[in-house]
Amino acid sequence: MSSLNAAIAASATALNAERTRIEVAISNLANAESTRGPDGRPYRRRDVVLGSQPAETFDAALGRASATGVSVKGIVEDQSPARQRYEPSHPDADKEGYVALPNVDPAEEMVDMLSAARAYQANLTAITLIRDLVQKALDLGR
Amino acid sequence: MAIESIAGALPALSREHVATGGAAAADGFGTSLHRLVSAVETSGQEANGAVGRMLDGSGEVHDAMIALQRAEMTLQLTVQVRNKLVQAYQDIMRMPV
Amino acid sequence: MSELSDAALVTALRRQMTIAAARQVIAAGNLANVNTPGFRARQADFETALDASLRQPLAVTHPAHLRSEGAGSVAAKDADGLPARRDGNTVQIDRELLEMTSAGGEFQRAQTALAAKFRLVRYAINEGR
Repeated sequence: MSSLNAAIAASATALNAERTRIEVAISNLANAESTRGPDGRPYRRRDVVLGSQPAETFDAALGRASATGVSVKGIVEDQSPARQRYEPSHPDADKEGYVALPNVDPAEEMVDMLSAARAYQANLTAITLIRDLVQKALDLGR
Repeated sequence: MAIESIAGALPALSREHVATGGAAAADGFGTSLHRLVSAVETSGQEANGAVGRMLDGSGEVHDAMIALQRAEMTLQLTVQVRNKLVQAYQDIMRMPV
Repeated sequence: MSELSDAALVTALRRQMTIAAARQVIAAGNLANVNTPGFRARQADFETALDASLRQPLAVTHPAHLRSEGAGSVAAKDADGLPARRDGNTVQIDRELLEMTSAGGEFQRAQTALAAKFRLVRYAINEGR
């Protein structure tokens, strides 16, 4: 599919994907100090993995103009180690007085959230622009 | 191209209208009108095709709109020509012999 | 303008609209993938003459394959000269939005000209001889 409507569909997939990124960033921020989750361990930062959807269109393979969408391929746990903070008074402190904190960097989450918000806005604008174009085309039929 | 065939048909029509001889004029009209009617048929089919392609996503909206316009103009032209022919026929029939 | 026949003019304007639409489609796809790791921004390729029959890897049997309709008749390639970010992505939001605005303008201009042409012809048919 190479028409303008397919392009709107592609932009719509981006709205979903970027919204997911924002939600995950918010969740990371909200749990940045969560030292003990339901499994007894500190919260692990979550990351959204994006991929083109569909991965390779018929049109793209032939070198023709087409719009690829995007989808969330998965939400994975960041495997980097937990932050350690010396706080012996903390209820979850270990024998040496260190508390294992989530591997969340608030600054990084803010950057991710802004990037997702900006992308969301841009794709919304794209939908508006394409819709205007389709309207103009329909105007040809009076 | 439908428009080209119409543009071609128009001068042919006017020339034959001026020519004398009812029978010869009738033949000329018949052929040209026949061409116009085929043009209506063709442009109508092209419009259907273009709209179909727009709906299933393989074609663009503006192509469908252009095809629709062409079909409409071809039809309008044919109707106008037919009207003029009928008028001319009536004029001729009213002439005292 | 008088040198071009009606059909040639319509074809030329129609082609302009198709190209503008293709540019919009490509830009939309780029924007959708602005945060996809490794995604390379695409752009319209005007040097490549897209001959559908030459590019088909399969034997061409279906007549629909021969006619590249719509935006698909415009070739696309990876945009060159764009810096890649850490994740390998080369899409720049402002560049794509600018492209969409510019293409939109061209589409609009061609549409206006075509609509005027249609009005003229309709007038000629209905009011003229």
